[in-house]
Amino acid sequence: MVSSRPPAWARTIPFRMTKSRIGVLLAAFLALAGGLPSAPGAEEPPKKINLKAFPATTVEDVVVPIPSEVFNALDKLGTVAWRSEVRTVSSKSRPSDRPRIALLLGSVIADGFLAVQAEDVERVIEIGKTVITLADAISVKQAVLPHCNAIIEAARKKEWRTVRKEFDATQGKVRQAMDALKDTELSQLVSIGGWIRGTEALTSLVLRDYSNDRAELLSQPDLVALFDRQLSVMSPRLRESSLVSKVRAGLGEIRPLVGEATISRKSIESINSVTKRLSRDILPADS
Amino acid sequence: MKFRPIPLLAASLLAVLGATGSLRATVDDALAYALEAMTPYVSKGGQGFTMREDTWGGDLAAGDQKAIAVQLFKGNEYWFCMGTDVKGATVSVHLYDREGNLVEESDAWQRDTFAGARVKPKKTGSFFAIVKVEKSARERTHWGLVYSYK
Repeated sequence: MVSSRPPAWARTIPFRMTKSRIGVLLAAFLALAGGLPSAPGAEEPPKKINLKAFPATTVEDVVVPIPSEVFNALDKLGTVAWRSEVRTVSSKSRPSDRPRIALLLGSVIADGFLAVQAEDVERVIEIGKTVITLADAISVKQAVLPHCNAIIEAARKKEWRTVRKEFDATQGKVRQAMDALKDTELSQLVSIGGWIRGTEALTSLVLRDYSNDRAELLSQPDLVALFDRQLSVMSPRLRESSLVSKVRAGLGEIRPLVGEATISRKSIESINSVTKRLSRDILPADS
Repeated sequence: MKFRPIPLLAASLLAVLGATGSLRATVDDALAYALEAMTPYVSKGGQGFTMREDTWGGDLAAGDQKAIAVQLFKGNEYWFCMGTDVKGATVSVHLYDREGNLVEESDAWQRDTFAGARVKPKKTGSFFAIVKVEKSARERTHWGLVYSYK
């Protein structure tokens, strides 16, 4: 169902939160703090529906989760050695090719989520600075600057929930700014870069203490299928980039593994090996 | 579904918002209502949910529905909130798994221009948020959807 990509954007628009709404929200919160009302007589939903009966135009592509969502789930399955996976890309690192910058930006934002899990103030601040450098390299610095500053400020105060929210907002603003510049494909590479780095860390952590529950977090076949579809229809300029070709090939290796009913330790090792390789490929030579 | 009484202050605020007529009938406004519905769950001192930056919206005819595919993780809890700015319209949101089975909702409500569903998936994978405009006097009704996790 999800794999049939619908041309549904004519009637469906992804949004980002705007500051103009914040006043309304704050006022509303005061009113709604007691919880929202429910109407007596509201109909119970059907227990079963036929998703295949939905016309393709009414099915949206799978929403790409942020790394923090899966990290949050992993955290509930026992002690996790977050610090072992934290990495910093130098804030002086500034590659020149745009696909690499986009992939790296997503990857570095994923690093940010990892550093938040590890509650590593210094790393979070360094990552915030790196995001600014990379955003500047693709002309979206102004869009992310307030959020990166908020990340740094909140990290100093150890307000981790705020830092997570601001990393999500940073990724959103980068993608929004790229969409505005008609660079939707680069915007997709940001998400893919984030997923690769997040999955590299996730698989490393699962391998430290393998269990079926932990391995199940890798069950993301529709997401990988979405990335593969996006890469397959990118402009020839991007598709023929050696880095994008490597990413596509790597995702092709991963795709069958994340679709297994029970993802074995061996499969997790393979996914880890591929994502580690891709993460290295994405890093610029000077980092 | 679980039902809760409408707080008086909330009712007053919504009445004022509706009376001003200053809100444009756009999906942007519908989204503001969805965000408003989510606020109690993501605010400081609330239930500790973190709202996602990505949100969705569009317009639907009364009785029509749309499926939004989402990747959910076992162990997390999620709130999905939907809203519309069209006075008199009612909307609903529910989660289904890939086989079309309703996901057990630990909390859910539907009233007027708002609806919400809280789920704790028993498996990791793709799910579908089914958004529906139950009734509306308008030919097309704008809607907005947001979700949060913890």
